Amino acid sequence: MAKILNLLPWRRNRKEQDLDRELRYHVDRRVDEMLGSGISEAPARRQARLEFGGIDEAKEEVRETWLWRWLDNGGRDLRYAARMLWRTPGFTATALISLALGVGANAAIFSLIDQVLIRALPVEEPERLVNLRWEGSSLSSGYGQGNRLSYPFCRDLQEQQFFEGTFCRYPITVNVSTGAQHDPVAGEVVSGSYFSTLGVHPQVGRLIEQSDDLQPGAHPVVVISYNYWRTEFGGTRDVVGRKVLVNNHPMTVIGVAPQGFRGTDMLANPRLWMPAMMMPQIDSELGRRTLDRRTVWMNVFGRLKAGVTMERTKAGLLLWFKAMLEADKHRDGFPTVTPEQYQRYLASTIDLLPAARGMSMRRSTLERPLLVLLGGTVLLLLLASLNVAGLLLARGAARSRELTTRMAIGATRSRIVGQLLVETMLLTVGGGVLGLMATPAVSQVLLAFLSPGNDLGSRIDYRVFLFALAVTMVAGVLCGLAPIFQSGRIPLMASLKDRARVAAGSGIWVRKMLVVGQMAFTLLLLIGAGLFVQTLGRLHSNVGFASGSLIMFGVDPPAMGYSEADSEKVMREVERRLRDMPGVESSAVANTRMLNGGWSDGGMTIQSNERFVTDRAVLWMRVGPGFLKTLGAQVIAGRDFEQHDVRPPETKSTPWRSVIVNESFARRYFKDRSPVGSRLGIGTGPNVKPDIEIIGVVKDFNRRNLRDEEIEHVFFPYWDRDTDNGTFYVKVRGSPDDAFASIRSLVRQIDPALPVGEPRTFEEQIDRSVWVERALATLSSGFGLTALLLSVVGLFGVMSFIVTNRTQEIGIRIALGATRAGTVWLIVRDVLIMIGAATAIALPVAWALSGLIQAQLFGLSAVDTPTIAIASCFLALVSLGAATLPAWRAASVNPIDALRVE
Amino acid sequence: MPSSRFPIPQGTLDMLILRILSLDSVHGYGIAQRLQQISRDVVQVNQGSLYPALHRLEEKGWLKAEWRQSETGREAKFYALTPKGRKQLTVEKESWNRLADAVRLIFNEGD
Repeated sequence: MAKILNLLPWRRNRKEQDLDRELRYHVDRRVDEMLGSGISEAPARRQARLEFGGIDEAKEEVRETWLWRWLDNGGRDLRYAARMLWRTPGFTATALISLALGVGANAAIFSLIDQVLIRALPVEEPERLVNLRWEGSSLSSGYGQGNRLSYPFCRDLQEQQFFEGTFCRYPITVNVSTGAQHDPVAGEVVSGSYFSTLGVHPQVGRLIEQSDDLQPGAHPVVVISYNYWRTEFGGTRDVVGRKVLVNNHPMTVIGVAPQGFRGTDMLANPRLWMPAMMMPQIDSELGRRTLDRRTVWMNVFGRLKAGVTMERTKAGLLLWFKAMLEADKHRDGFPTVTPEQYQRYLASTIDLLPAARGMSMRRSTLERPLLVLLGGTVLLLLLASLNVAGLLLARGAARSRELTTRMAIGATRSRIVGQLLVETMLLTVGGGVLGLMATPAVSQVLLAFLSPGNDLGSRIDYRVFLFALAVTMVAGVLCGLAPIFQSGRIPLMASLKDRARVAAGSGIWVRKMLVVGQMAFTLLLLIGAGLFVQTLGRLHSNVGFASGSLIMFGVDPPAMGYSEADSEKVMREVERRLRDMPGVESSAVANTRMLNGGWSDGGMTIQSNERFVTDRAVLWMRVGPGFLKTLGAQVIAGRDFEQHDVRPPETKSTPWRSVIVNESFARRYFKDRSPVGSRLGIGTGPNVKPDIEIIGVVKDFNRRNLRDEEIEHVFFPYWDRDTDNGTFYVKVRGSPDDAFASIRSLVRQIDPALPVGEPRTFEEQIDRSVWVERALATLSSGFGLTALLLSVVGLFGVMSFIVTNRTQEIGIRIALGATRAGTVWLIVRDVLIMIGAATAIALPVAWALSGLIQAQLFGLSAVDTPTIAIASCFLALVSLGAATLPAWRAASVNPIDALRVE
Repeated sequence: MPSSRFPIPQGTLDMLILRILSLDSVHGYGIAQRLQQISRDVVQVNQGSLYPALHRLEEKGWLKAEWRQSETGREAKFYALTPKGRKQLTVEKESWNRLADAVRLIFNEGD
């Protein structure tokens, strides 16, 4: 210990000063001597130095002797420690596994947090990127996600000088074919300024430039991602010039993006980039609106000019923005609105948000859960450290004879503490290394839970390594305190005389405290697990209808180049054949896939006795006849859509004529009156004609996500208009797999190239929609059980030790007439006190932490009393179970044997 | 003899230091002087190598050191033998004697 401390800078200084003084004394004495014999000062000093030889060399040599000595000691301690650990494999394995678990889990979570929340985009000076957000009413209809603006807005901004560069992007999935097969592939539609503003350089060929984004439909070019290039194009340089079919439209590969570049959403994994002006070829619906100022779909980013702050940029931008708002009114296509609506529009502002990490909807969903998980793993690590500390103490107690003997034959206390520390260090470093080795595997598992479908890395980079190092050091300090604390208390004489008993007795209190700490952490983790498991269960049952034997799949003919009219024919054909398919109970089409995170909504005008507008946005979707029946959703007033509502084939599409509303809608806007027969209009402007008849009311069910409750929702008839693609819902009698096989061949008969989009059972769709909750429930349960196991081991160790230690006392008690039950009570009382203490510590902490996890819960409070009670009882029962064996041993102490030991 | 003074043989410096300190505790300068006196100026000790040797012996636990007022009134670092060092001196003396005997035997054999 003292030797280690000598390496500390200030200690070192002290030694250096001493050496300096010592050598100076030598030279001075020699000079004095020569002065005495009449030589003058200067030559005497020169002579003395000459005789001494190199002073600096001498110092250096002395320092070397210090270092060698230290290394020698350290090496010996290390070998000794390794030997001691080797001799107790059970202890060593338990300690190593505990630590490896703690470090591995932390490093794995950190690796994800680093990638999801911390790391900046791999582009030039990412800190200068900002994302633009329209604050207020934009009087437009929206597609996509995040902060959306129109494409013309982005182009206008490019002409201005507020930013060094401006670009925009829209995430989209397209069907790509390089041969026969058409596969859905994630991509990004981008402005020509995208790559140059980001400062990204091509791996091969060139990237999309301004000149690739001038005229609608005139630039059939794509850039592919590095990974896509390697896996699908063999990584060869002649990929440039290759033709690919994007939604059945021929496009040319012009280059490959650099490795590691994933666009502006780090959790997305786009494989190709296409110019925005190609939108009409990529997506017919949005393509018609690409240049519309009232359609917002693009995420717009700017790069701040060097040295110009966000505030200054925003100030300039706002002036321009306000002028644009004024000018917009006179443009074609500006909607007719009420004066109040126009005033609200004019009051809009534009905001800038830092976007060094890009922008990701996924990130905001993952942020909290990841931090909650990190909290869990930190608790787990603390617990594991306490566990190892307890084990070390137990071992120290068992070794007190050895230690006192060594002290008696002359080992200094600091030397022994040093050795124990080296042992602890070896353990923690070993655990840390093991943990780090396990990290990729652990994060693979986490990734499987947390982010199916994108390839976040599970490799260890230097940041994860540094984090693991820090975590290991914290664990090391926590574990290491125990032996130091203990060896300070080895009473030399007493221990040698009285065997290990007395020495160990002093440590028992600390060990109990450690176990109490472990149990408190365990209780916290168990409560968390209980809350998350229940959340998952409650969400699952919040669908609002029986989802068993319901399956779904998408059909998207325009993505294969079909015209609108031909697409409708395909859709009608699929619907007709589905009805006749054996094993199908009922089937229906809808415009969208339920529970996929997306939705459409808008304000509406209602005409009943009076005319009024909805006070908030109403969700809507379009469904065919039989849809509600297929889902099993109950129509409680009026009627469902029937086959006779379907617009006949080969006729022109019409505006919607009928609508079904849900219960919440009826309650909010009609109170106890029936809405059936009243009329509805889309939009809230004065020109809106409410001419859509409400024909029915359906019970609430969730279609956007399972957390929704009492959301107003309306259903328009699918077949009136926009019939070129959709999702089919099928209630099957047999197994879903058989049904999917039949469906595939059914679709193949219509067009062999037409893909069946994401065939899934509804249960799978539910699972996907609650993946965050499922991950939290599973992982927190894992943490809770691991914690429970660790603390049970700790508790068992301490209680066994207590019994061994008190054998004589118990023997005397029994000899004096104590009953077996009384003896058991002796042990059980200890355990009960410890459980009580742990609960008393954990409950206030749980209460204090409740705010952090409330947002992740559903349908119950973070301080849900039954959950807390059950978790506490569970812990208490398991703890008492762990104490059974020691208690039984105590009860079966034979007084004669116990006393004979003395 | 080619020179009246020859460099001290490897390993013997430690022994000489232990020997000097077996009589009294002395500081570094004193040890250097004593070395010269005892060896009657035959052995040449590089003063610079004396201190590494002292520190090495201290680290081995054969010497202990303390700062004390010297004969000139200034503080100096005084070295003294530890019990371990005293034992070591006996060991070294014995093995030296054995070695010297053996060497003498070898040289005298031819005579």
